[in-house]
Amino acid sequence: MLEPVLFALFSVSAVVFAFNVVFRRNAVHCALHLVGVLLSLSGMFVLLNAQFIAAIQILIYAGAIMVLFLFVVMLLNVKGEAPLLTPGAWKGFGFFFALIVFVELLYIVLSQGGTEGTPAAAVPLPPGFGSPAEIGRILYSTWLFPFEVTSILLLIAVIGAVVLAKRKFA
Amino acid sequence: MDATFLIASAVKVLVVLGFVLLGVPLIVWMERKVIGHMQDRIGPQRVGPFGLLQTIADGIKLFFKEDIVPDGADRVVFIIAPALPVITAFLALAVIPFGDTVRVAGHDIPLQITDVNIAVLWILGTTSMGVYGIVLGGWASNSKYPLLGGLRSSAQMISYELAQGISLVSVIVMTGTLSLASIVRQQEHLWFIVPQFFAFVIYILCGIAETNRAPFDLAEAETELVAGFHTEFSSMKFALYFLAEYANMMVVSGIAISVFFGGWHGPFLPPVVWFLIKLSLFLFFYVWLRATFPRLRYDQLMAFGWKVLLPASLLNLTVTALVVGLTA
Amino acid sequence: MQTLSVPLEAYQLVAALLFTIGLIGVLVRRSALIIFMSIELMLNAVNLSFVAFSRQHGQMDGQIFVFFVMSVAAAEVAVGLAILVAIFRNRETANVDEVHLLKG
Repeated sequence: MLEPVLFALFSVSAVVFAFNVVFRRNAVHCALHLVGVLLSLSGMFVLLNAQFIAAIQILIYAGAIMVLFLFVVMLLNVKGEAPLLTPGAWKGFGFFFALIVFVELLYIVLSQGGTEGTPAAAVPLPPGFGSPAEIGRILYSTWLFPFEVTSILLLIAVIGAVVLAKRKFA
Repeated sequence: MDATFLIASAVKVLVVLGFVLLGVPLIVWMERKVIGHMQDRIGPQRVGPFGLLQTIADGIKLFFKEDIVPDGADRVVFIIAPALPVITAFLALAVIPFGDTVRVAGHDIPLQITDVNIAVLWILGTTSMGVYGIVLGGWASNSKYPLLGGLRSSAQMISYELAQGISLVSVIVMTGTLSLASIVRQQEHLWFIVPQFFAFVIYILCGIAETNRAPFDLAEAETELVAGFHTEFSSMKFALYFLAEYANMMVVSGIAISVFFGGWHGPFLPPVVWFLIKLSLFLFFYVWLRATFPRLRYDQLMAFGWKVLLPASLLNLTVTALVVGLTA
Repeated sequence: MQTLSVPLEAYQLVAALLFTIGLIGVLVRRSALIIFMSIELMLNAVNLSFVAFSRQHGQMDGQIFVFFVMSVAAAEVAVGLAILVAIFRNRETANVDEVHLLKG
């Protein structure tokens, strides 16, 4: 069976890339490893029968958002941070807090506390599950109003970005 | 997943790979020859008949050049960057249909490496990943001009991707499918260049900008930026960028043929031959443009993308949607 | 691929790991750019969880949610990076610890 092998591959690469995002000093390297995480997740989406989401993950996230990130990192030419893992009270607190959150998440996942009503095994899929046509059908019927709100949100973001990036505030 | 499928796929992959690797020297020769004649010169003529082997000789020369990694360059990124645009170009080629389904020894084999139901999204995704090769190459060189070239091209490609995608969406609205093979099949009687002429013009302008070809080759603009993003690259790394540029031209032309020019459809000749004829015409068009137009200024380029192409493509999409909605 | 041979918990576990790593990034790193990237990491962890649940239930609403998360992330990145560029222009720094006064 191919699926567990691919899952193992994608999950290990996602987690390794994610570690590098957080623990690299050079911002460009961080951005590149984030692209690696995005691509690994895209592979997992395909395993989960979400082809459309996988495609727009590459198209929008890796192809547009991350290029914008890289553009800004290179434009600002930010220097690497001071040594990362120097001991400091706040950093220790950060790690401790993250550990607590992880233990909580682990408890929820393993005890299946939040999965009430979730089928124990994956249900058989209707034909066309995750295809662009089905996504479009649901998006423009059930989720039409949120979709329109999103477009207004994006418009506001565009205007906001243009206003902020203008050199002179009138 | 039976044995014939595996064998057929392997053969198709090898054929496409070989076609691109052998085709690129031929296109470069064609470009130099055509531009030579357009500028009242004769172009290469020393190596082989009509200078045909000139680009092969150039390729061999590049092979044996010293491979230089500049001091202060980011070594790993510097080595990876030139491979990225080549990889993405080949990934995009995988979904372009170059012929109708043929029957070989009792098996139906589509002449296309793979037909996925998200082909158009796949192509937009892979081409948008191609920009990384240029941006990272510019950054990893740790040098002024390459960085400027890389920054220019990232801004340029993000801007033109939008209009390109939207111009393809207007065709998708008409056909109702994202699979390139189905789009080609629907053009048996009428090529989509007729109803979607504006979409085609927008698409091909954006396609030229996406491949960083003249008159949109601001990323390498030799009069301002030495050689742009690939200034510091030598030997095979430079050859890879070169290969990627021409492979990407094939991708853009292949999509234009499949979406607007009826793909493999055509009278008398076999489908594959028609595809190749259309491909050569498109590549000639690329070269023709390069010989005709001077390079745009950078602010003109950005203004053209955002203020002309994007609104035009949105308008075209709206009109298409209205027509399709009212006649459905 | 009609059956799901990898259990839902495995996907949730990867999502939890990614989320935690992103959280560490937000708490520990001081460069605003990398804090931003860590937030993207956390959003992606949640997306993975959504898609996995969507597969388990056989309903696509989870995938629609991922679509919305992506649009919101795009908006957030556009405005956030614009703010960063504006800060960098005034203060020559992207370190969040050095930008803690309300006056310029």
